[in-house]
Amino acid sequence: MVRYGLVIDLKRCTGCFGCVIACKAEHQTPPKVFWAKVLRSESGKYPVVNRQPLPVLCMHCKEPACKDVCPTGATKQREDGIVVVDNKLCVGCRYCVVACPYGARYFVEKWKDYFTGKDQPSSKYAEYAKKKWLAENDRGVVTKCNFCSERLEKDLKPACVEACPAEARTFGDLDDPESEASRLIKKRRGFRLKEELGTDPCVYYLPSR
Amino acid sequence: MSPPNSKEKVVKTSCGMCYGTCTIRARTCDDIVVGIEGEPDSPQGYGNVCAKGISSIMQLYDPNRLDYPLLRTNPEKGLDVDPEFKRISWAEALDIMEEKLRDCLNRDRRGLYCCSTPTFPSERAYNIICFQRAFGTPNYYVAGGGLHCGNGPHMVAGMYHASWSVIPDYKYCNLAIYWGCSKGHGAGHAALVAMKQAADARERGMRLIVFDPFQSAQASAAEEWVPIKVGTDAAVALSMTNLLLNEYKIFDSQYLKTKTNAPYLVGTDGLYARDEKTDLPLVWDPIEKIAIPFNDKNLKDAALFGDHEAHGDKCKTSLEILRNHIKKYTPEYASKISDVPANTIRRVAKEFGEEARIGSTIMIDGHELPYRPAASIYFRGAGGHYNQAWQCVSLILLNHIIGCGDMPGGALAFGPPVHLGYPGTGRLGFNVEPDRDGLLVAKSWPYAHLPYPPKDPHDPPERLDLQDMFYVPTYTTIMMWENNEELWTKFKIPYRPDVMLNFASNQIMSIGNPHEVLDHFLKKFRFIISFNIFASEFEEAVADLVLPDTSFLERYTVSTTFPTVGVSCHSTGLGDWIWAIRQPAVEPKPERRAMVDVILEMSERLGLRERYYEALNEWINRAYGGYLKPENKWNTKEPLKFEKIMDTILRDKFGDDKGLEFFKQYGYLKWPKRVEEVYWRAFSDVRVPVYLEWIIKAGRKSRAIAEKYGVPDLVDWSFHSALPDYHPCPSYTTQTSENSEHDLLAFYWRSALHTYSMTMENPWLNEISENDPYTYTIQLNPDTAKRKGVKSGDVVWLENTKGHKTQGRVYLTEGIKPDHVGIAACAGHWAKGQPIAKGKGVFFNELIEVDKEHTCPLSLGQDICVAVKLYKSEGS
Repeated sequence: MVRYGLVIDLKRCTGCFGCVIACKAEHQTPPKVFWAKVLRSESGKYPVVNRQPLPVLCMHCKEPACKDVCPTGATKQREDGIVVVDNKLCVGCRYCVVACPYGARYFVEKWKDYFTGKDQPSSKYAEYAKKKWLAENDRGVVTKCNFCSERLEKDLKPACVEACPAEARTFGDLDDPESEASRLIKKRRGFRLKEELGTDPCVYYLPSR
Repeated sequence: MSPPNSKEKVVKTSCGMCYGTCTIRARTCDDIVVGIEGEPDSPQGYGNVCAKGISSIMQLYDPNRLDYPLLRTNPEKGLDVDPEFKRISWAEALDIMEEKLRDCLNRDRRGLYCCSTPTFPSERAYNIICFQRAFGTPNYYVAGGGLHCGNGPHMVAGMYHASWSVIPDYKYCNLAIYWGCSKGHGAGHAALVAMKQAADARERGMRLIVFDPFQSAQASAAEEWVPIKVGTDAAVALSMTNLLLNEYKIFDSQYLKTKTNAPYLVGTDGLYARDEKTDLPLVWDPIEKIAIPFNDKNLKDAALFGDHEAHGDKCKTSLEILRNHIKKYTPEYASKISDVPANTIRRVAKEFGEEARIGSTIMIDGHELPYRPAASIYFRGAGGHYNQAWQCVSLILLNHIIGCGDMPGGALAFGPPVHLGYPGTGRLGFNVEPDRDGLLVAKSWPYAHLPYPPKDPHDPPERLDLQDMFYVPTYTTIMMWENNEELWTKFKIPYRPDVMLNFASNQIMSIGNPHEVLDHFLKKFRFIISFNIFASEFEEAVADLVLPDTSFLERYTVSTTFPTVGVSCHSTGLGDWIWAIRQPAVEPKPERRAMVDVILEMSERLGLRERYYEALNEWINRAYGGYLKPENKWNTKEPLKFEKIMDTILRDKFGDDKGLEFFKQYGYLKWPKRVEEVYWRAFSDVRVPVYLEWIIKAGRKSRAIAEKYGVPDLVDWSFHSALPDYHPCPSYTTQTSENSEHDLLAFYWRSALHTYSMTMENPWLNEISENDPYTYTIQLNPDTAKRKGVKSGDVVWLENTKGHKTQGRVYLTEGIKPDHVGIAACAGHWAKGQPIAKGKGVFFNELIEVDKEHTCPLSLGQDICVAVKLYKSEGS
């Protein structure tokens, strides 16, 4: 069985936010909603300083904490490992938002226009965006990265992977030891964030140094 | 993904969110652009696309865009003045435009000033440069980008590489040293292409050492960040050259002998010793023990060092003079200037020299070439200073000491200056050539003047910026100096600013202190016409007629990737060439018109058709490697139409089957680069100077003109010498003077999220900028903050010695040199026409003085590092 996962090479990533905007354009997430983010870390003291951009998204954990707390069964895990929210079942209780250790989930009360902050679309494109958002996510529900499952159905890579200018992202089957993703994790000693929590995340990082 | 049953279309075009011009697929759904994706097979982006590119949808559909022409009704102009714009029709707008331009033609055609943005080089060529030449005015400049980076960095790269800039040969380079540049990190030259190439290089193991006062994106990805006092790079580079030549004895003798003027003999007058018969520069043949022309077929060897006699004069080789000249740049001396530890300078110089592997070769496609996998790379950070010309020479010279100029692994001309022709037709070919003295001359250099040889100066100058009496500057800011009227009078310039034609540049924000730019320059114009997609600070402050332009997703342009010089996009190294067009993905709203169409219509109305066609011929010759074939010559009886112009150029270069229809369908055409094009220097008999003898002579000519018209101190003429030096910025004196309140050095850096000042209005880019700790803040070292009594999040003022000040929120980071202040991009907008951008970020350029004191005396580029005092804003 396929187990989808993502490998992010921190040696290639420059923190350009390409992934963030690719995700936004693909899913039409409204203002303040980021299914993909880039965090910044800084350590050390001048002049020995290490600044590191860290792209994050839903980790599509094998043991998702968000799924366990969902009272309606809206958060589900597909057979291929992708954690999804069924917006017809979601009641917007936001337990999952609290439970997710990665801050990957966003409750969206209603769609808002980027230019006006209001519910009315300000352009033809905003009308398209609103329609698409409501069709796929509705209002008053929790939303998150779905690994672009709609693109996967068409044999396309997730939008963030497709766009990444530094080609720092490799999407693939973690259960297949021959996949490029598995090979990179092995070769470059891939690590995961907050592994100690036992959620068994499926997003791996390759060290920058 | 689009909803079911929608009408989908994909248009292949070129991105216009920066000058990287990646090939993109604009995906439309029911005639709305709903997605921007990379074109997988294009070498221009490799199928990737960046945050700015994808966000262009939000620019296209910004409800704040201009939808119809506007006429200013308030005669008062100023930063806080309501222009009281009135909607007018295009018919009225064109009538007014024609009347104003015709009046200018009748008064003095030179009174027209054409200005443009650096973001759209191709559009600029057809709607500004050709029109400017057709109209007959010499006055033209590119705001912001041109003045802040165009002079020192571009012209020096032109002298040494016949190119707009230099980029490491990412495929083979093992050690790159960056001096204040962001190459390969999502901004600037070949933004996206270089980003993948740089990531590949890092993964392969290329080491990067970054000298920068700020730990930028590129510095944080580097093996080593070396904090340096802003603008002192020349001192460190000259010290490295001193170590390589005088102490470590690591230099490429063969390269220096054959690819530079190192062996040329220089007499006691500082000029070349020349052969009496041929007037060619002499070199010393140590075998025959004679002085002989550098290119004489009987030359057996050329001495690189030493004192030698020629015509009874005691001469030295050029390299001998350089080597002696830079002995004063000991690592200890350079350290005192730059704050870089002397042992770091020693170590980096040694690593750089050793990594060059002098003497080694590599086989590439059957050619055995020198293998020099080390490169010294600079750009705007090193450039934006009082000493920018000599600073750039100092940095680029490192490459020519180790012999890595355009050699595998080394510093490559960005957008190679050699193209041997499109294989299908043999057209579009150009090559570098030597002048009589054997020095490198660029063949394809359509912007400004050739970097070398120096053009003859105008006596008296004709341009309002006096650029034409100099020989290095691309543009100058002299037309904005407080004493401009006095200078124009003394130089007997008979006309004054009359009409301005502006294309998408925001001159209020992108040059320097807006009050001074406004009072000293922009207010002098009778009438200002501006094409833009928004009403920016420029339109609101000074424009009389505002014309709503199309977005890059709504218009055509003929080539976004050629010429290779001045269009900042082609990849370096082996790979593919590409010619790409820009074409509409959607129709513009009815009252938005592409500027080029308006300009062509105006050329017709003003009776300039034939002159426009002439200008077009010259552009095609200089930019695309030769004039049109006779059978494609313009029929001047035909009115100017851009689609016809595009089709003619395309068919002329690529054949009758590859006209505009072909390019509309495919978007671009690519073909493989040849080794002789990429590593052209190994195949070309051209040299570059280690001793810039010609600057002495050219400087004397300019100085003579200045003296003739009673302005002997126009600039500091001592800069017009033949040897690089470190010269301090005026800000250092202020910063270090006793009890100085202005004790911090402020500089700005380029954010990968923004292109100049135009992208803050984009709500997606704005939102991530607001979330990012650096983009909209003032970066300060915690130790400095403690000393100043401020903490992260405090709102502070930065004020220069003239009392000009700007405000912003402090972000503390250990990644900045103490006593320095870093600011990203050109933010801090206040125009009503850009409400998303309004009030976001910091307006650094408020602090820049536009005057002689802050102008490089050689390149006339702007010094944009500023000594500031920092204090808390009341009630912050």
